[in-house]
Amino acid sequence: MAEWRKYYPNEDDEVEEDEEDSGGDYKLSGRDSLVFLVDASKEMFIKGEDGEPSNFDMTMQCVRSVYTSKIISSDKDLVALVFYGTEQSKNPRNSFKHVYIYHDLDSPGSQRVLDIDKLLGEKGAQFAEKTMGSGETSLGDALWCCSNLYSDIKLRLSHKRLMIFTCRDDPHGGDGAKDRQARTKAADLKETGVVIDLMHLTKPGGFDVSLFFCDIVSPPEDESELGLQIEPCRKLEDLQKRVRAKELKKRSQSRLTFSLGEGVNLAVGVYVLARTATKPSAVKLHRDTNEPVRTKTRYFHAHNGGILLPNDMKRAQVYGKKQIVMEKDEVDEIKKFDDPGLVLMGFKPMDRLKLHHHIRPVLFIYPEEEQISGSSCMFTALLLKCSEKNLFALCRYIPRCNTPPRFVALVPQREELDQGQTQATPPGFHVIFLPFADDIRTVDAHVGPTASDEQVDKMKEIVHKLRFKYKCVVFYKLCPVHSSYFLRSEMFLMDNCSILILLLSHTLCVPSVPKVQMMDARLGPLAQEFKDLVYPPDYNPEGKPAAKRKTGEISNGLTLM
Amino acid sequence: MARAAKSALVLCMDVGFSMSNSEPGQEPSFEQAKKVIQKFVQRQVFAENKDEVGLVLFGTDGTKNSLAKDGQYENITVHRHLMMPDFELLEEIENELQPGGQQADWLDALVVCMDLLQKETMGKKFERLNIVLLTDLNVQTSADQLDVIIDSLKKAGITLQFFLPFPVDGEDRADGGGDGPGPSAAPARPGKGLSRQQTQGLEMVKNIMTSLEEEDGLEEVYTFSDALQKLSIFKCIDRRPMAWPCQLTIGSSLTIRIVGYKAVTEEKVKKSWAIVEAQSHQRDDVKRETVYCLDDDNETEVQKDDTIQGFRYGSDIVPFSKVDEDQMKYKSDGKCFSVLGFTKQELIRRHQFMGSQVVKVFAPRDDEHAAVALSALIRALDSLKMAAIVRYAYDRRSNPQVGAAFPCIKEKYECLLYVQLPFMEDLRQFTFPVLENNKKFTPSESQLSAVDVLIDSMMLVEKDEDGESVDVFKVNHIPNPQFQRLFQCLHHRGVNPDDPLPPVEPWLKRHLEQPQAVSARCHCPLQDVKTKFPLKVVVKKKEQKTSADVFGSSADEPDAKKVKVDEETEFNLAEIAKGNITSVGSVNPVRDFCTLVRQKTVSFDQACQQLTHRIEQLLGNRSPEYYMKSTACIQAFRDQSVSSGNAELFNSYMQSLKRSVPDRNLQEFWDLLIQDALTLISKDEVDGSTFSKQDANQFLAFEQKEEVQAAPVQEDTGDVDDLVSVSCLFGCFNDKHIIYYICECNSYL
Repeated sequence: MAEWRKYYPNEDDEVEEDEEDSGGDYKLSGRDSLVFLVDASKEMFIKGEDGEPSNFDMTMQCVRSVYTSKIISSDKDLVALVFYGTEQSKNPRNSFKHVYIYHDLDSPGSQRVLDIDKLLGEKGAQFAEKTMGSGETSLGDALWCCSNLYSDIKLRLSHKRLMIFTCRDDPHGGDGAKDRQARTKAADLKETGVVIDLMHLTKPGGFDVSLFFCDIVSPPEDESELGLQIEPCRKLEDLQKRVRAKELKKRSQSRLTFSLGEGVNLAVGVYVLARTATKPSAVKLHRDTNEPVRTKTRYFHAHNGGILLPNDMKRAQVYGKKQIVMEKDEVDEIKKFDDPGLVLMGFKPMDRLKLHHHIRPVLFIYPEEEQISGSSCMFTALLLKCSEKNLFALCRYIPRCNTPPRFVALVPQREELDQGQTQATPPGFHVIFLPFADDIRTVDAHVGPTASDEQVDKMKEIVHKLRFKYKCVVFYKLCPVHSSYFLRSEMFLMDNCSILILLLSHTLCVPSVPKVQMMDARLGPLAQEFKDLVYPPDYNPEGKPAAKRKTGEISNGLTLM
Repeated sequence: MARAAKSALVLCMDVGFSMSNSEPGQEPSFEQAKKVIQKFVQRQVFAENKDEVGLVLFGTDGTKNSLAKDGQYENITVHRHLMMPDFELLEEIENELQPGGQQADWLDALVVCMDLLQKETMGKKFERLNIVLLTDLNVQTSADQLDVIIDSLKKAGITLQFFLPFPVDGEDRADGGGDGPGPSAAPARPGKGLSRQQTQGLEMVKNIMTSLEEEDGLEEVYTFSDALQKLSIFKCIDRRPMAWPCQLTIGSSLTIRIVGYKAVTEEKVKKSWAIVEAQSHQRDDVKRETVYCLDDDNETEVQKDDTIQGFRYGSDIVPFSKVDEDQMKYKSDGKCFSVLGFTKQELIRRHQFMGSQVVKVFAPRDDEHAAVALSALIRALDSLKMAAIVRYAYDRRSNPQVGAAFPCIKEKYECLLYVQLPFMEDLRQFTFPVLENNKKFTPSESQLSAVDVLIDSMMLVEKDEDGESVDVFKVNHIPNPQFQRLFQCLHHRGVNPDDPLPPVEPWLKRHLEQPQAVSARCHCPLQDVKTKFPLKVVVKKKEQKTSADVFGSSADEPDAKKVKVDEETEFNLAEIAKGNITSVGSVNPVRDFCTLVRQKTVSFDQACQQLTHRIEQLLGNRSPEYYMKSTACIQAFRDQSVSSGNAELFNSYMQSLKRSVPDRNLQEFWDLLIQDALTLISKDEVDGSTFSKQDANQFLAFEQKEEVQAAPVQEDTGDVDDLVSVSCLFGCFNDKHIIYYICECNSYL
């Protein structure tokens, strides 16, 4: 059975590089923070036609999805939920009227998800009415209150964002003093590095940003961002997408020098855009208190019991019955070939990039103007030319100190926008890892009879019937491992009612199991027709295969060459 | 389960006196053949398979073989019987393999080898029996037995390989150049230089080889130099892929039996390093103990039995018992390869490939019907340019994946190639600022054309004379340098336990560099790019860590330490804000110093005094880590001095430090300062400085004889007195004096 495992390494074996993959080091960059400032006025609770959810409900669903995704992806980040325009007030010393801090800035946990659940749907609206109500609006006070939230945080914050969800473009109804106060407070916040975004929602007659909010929100980060021109969000999906795009602060995995040769160097940031989301690793807890427990590893001498310091130990391997000993430093030195960086070897046409030369998920690079000025211009020129000539760049890549090199293909990707003018693909190069000779195994091909045209044509019909447009989005939220894992985690913490909701939400979307019945219906008699063409009547492909498991036969014995 | 069959091989090397002959400037055949054997055994040792190797020498002064009788089979020695090669054999080859003074018939030696193989493989199962002959053929042979020998070789199923100093075919001579390694092995000698015996021998070799293997036989005759090139590459790690039988399903009724093999995956080093005690080199002398402790100030230890597993869910930690954990595993319904649907290949982007492997999917070997059915699918997909999206689960316990199966039709076979694709959760939708339409970054026409020319000059795919395009840099032909280097070092250390590690072998280095033709071609275009694109390193005050950088690249020291020091010197605002630093400590003197200066808790002079005190302590250790820390201190000292406009303390300290360099043997450290350009503060930087920019620039340079001379920079201003008194204080130099000096210096101010 051991071989089975070897063939399919379990996840534990693959997490080795997790540490740096997790997309940035909190120690260095601090934590991200995000405040949802949500309008709780009566207008927010008006339901759409045909029973569409109210703006408030949509916002809460969106907030909930951010909470749960933060829990999975970056549980150290801080999130807060604040309502304005409420009847009740809840904030430190209640110094701000009509501002209700539902959650102050803290890392999201299951309790908070449950709290949000209380605000969802029809019942949620009633609950909100009961606990907070709707009252006067002073955005200035609300912003002030939020700025206090930030200043109360003792941790280092790397990225501060505040999102205003509202459907009212003139919240103070023409009260100039309140408008002014809000503008001042917004300016104060922006000065302390908080980015203010507006997530405006549909309003009968259209949401006019220029009335008031254009002075509140932060200017777009670069010229491209159309920012306020965007239409208000009508659908939850749009809102979630917009929030996600803003909320995810990209962190580079590392910053490297990209050397073209002869001292022509630019700086790039390396990003992980795709990574198999793994379940978080287990932590050890104290049985009695559930307190987290740390491990300490010590080495001591087997005979005299003395503690061994790193200098007292060496590393060894046995080959050919001989033990070969090295210092720890030497073991590291062996892995060092050059300093970290990307070094350009040359260019090749895209068709030289073989489909099956795949060993790892890709990385992404984007220029770092702050490290070497001029990088972006050089990078853009390379990007344009590579893409125009349909080439990829071949580079030697050393990600860290004492890491052996690998060769990578830099595949150009130009920016693309979707219909909503949101960036669909960012500009930059994908970094595709290429296999060395050792990584390619000798597989003895099975050579068998091939199909006739008639058989192929029948299969074409089948393929035609079952075609669809692949988008990885199709497989949204269906990673069964995750669902199962988080489902159980959540179940441990939640009451029965929530478990039911959760169960529902998770079982509703597991379409990676083929929809067999649907497929059968689409195929109709085709499947049988194909089988009649390729299989003799007595053949049962589902029967136990006769062949036993055996290794792929390689008939090369030992030769000197 | 039956192990894969093993092979047996006898190395049969000519050590006769003609092997020691060589033309001027060329390595004797003996040395070349010895290297071939060495490299081969090395590979075998590190490949760690079960194959057995024997070694027979002929032309030896003595005789030691079981056939020797009545003056027959003399001067042939069985040096090592069939067994797995080990380091002992390597050492023997290294130390005991000497040229002999006799000559022996290589056909006789061949017979001895055959005898050895037959006797010693008796009763064991071997997949292949092979004899490798390394000789210059320069000996009289009696050909009368040739037919008998060929016959019995055939009967016993023994294969032969010849290694000669010259190519078997005058014309067919592969040139020994190329990117091969090896000690500038002599190019194959021209055929005309052969002796009569050699010419005759060569005919016999051809005769044997062609009668054994027909027309392909001559491919098994190599030259020494050829062999060396190929052998210096350690064998690729050779794994036999496991078959994974499964069924491909489309809907509920259409099933095709398949077998999958992992075809491409990142191979890792098989062995890990064990920890041994430094003196005894014994593994058992090191006991490892893992203790659990609470995360409190006392680090209270907890028994292992008192711990349970938990998982994080956001800020909550959820305790899980073992039972829960098992239940948590996703329960799938066993292995599967089920088609979810078909889609255009172009919709599956190369950069979306996930996972760490490519699986090749065939029909089972013995199942024609499955082969036809799968072939229909592969061909249909290929002609429609589509791929199947499948749900793949390796077995019941593994996590199901979604992936794509692409059709792959080769001349000799066809298969599906399966690659994992991402789930939505696996992707991060980052938004990056626009590049192309951003006025700041848009390259000009002339810049674009410079890049255009550069790219053309750096193409790695070239057209050869026939108009065929040739890839001159095939990554999938390069052996993983990590393994090559590891085995090189292991071998070196194994044979020479006390030597330092060798440098990376030149041929390996060459493999990792741009092909020379390309670098030559792109020289001019690169210069053009250089002038057209202004690229400037942005120096950030806080992130200056040049000394560490310089050190990392200048010395071949592993970088682990460097990182540590960097972390320490990293500015930590939070800690500064805590504000309880009252003196310059030894752990993080730079930070402490900067904090002190910033907070003004002590006077600048005092802070500097404390810092220099630490620097002197650090320099007392004379080791690289401390040097880096010291340069960081000096950098901080300089920065703070410049920002507070006080050049005096720094400059006088640097002068005294410079003078102490020869006596304290700090040249290496001083070089670091030179690299970091940590020189005196000039008038340009701080008004009060007594040094011109030029003085400062010259300061770091060491004249040979400057020892007691005062720095040649004093004449400028009225501060000469101080400096004179300084130089007086330094009658002799040692650490203590310097510290005294610093105190003195401070008292002057």
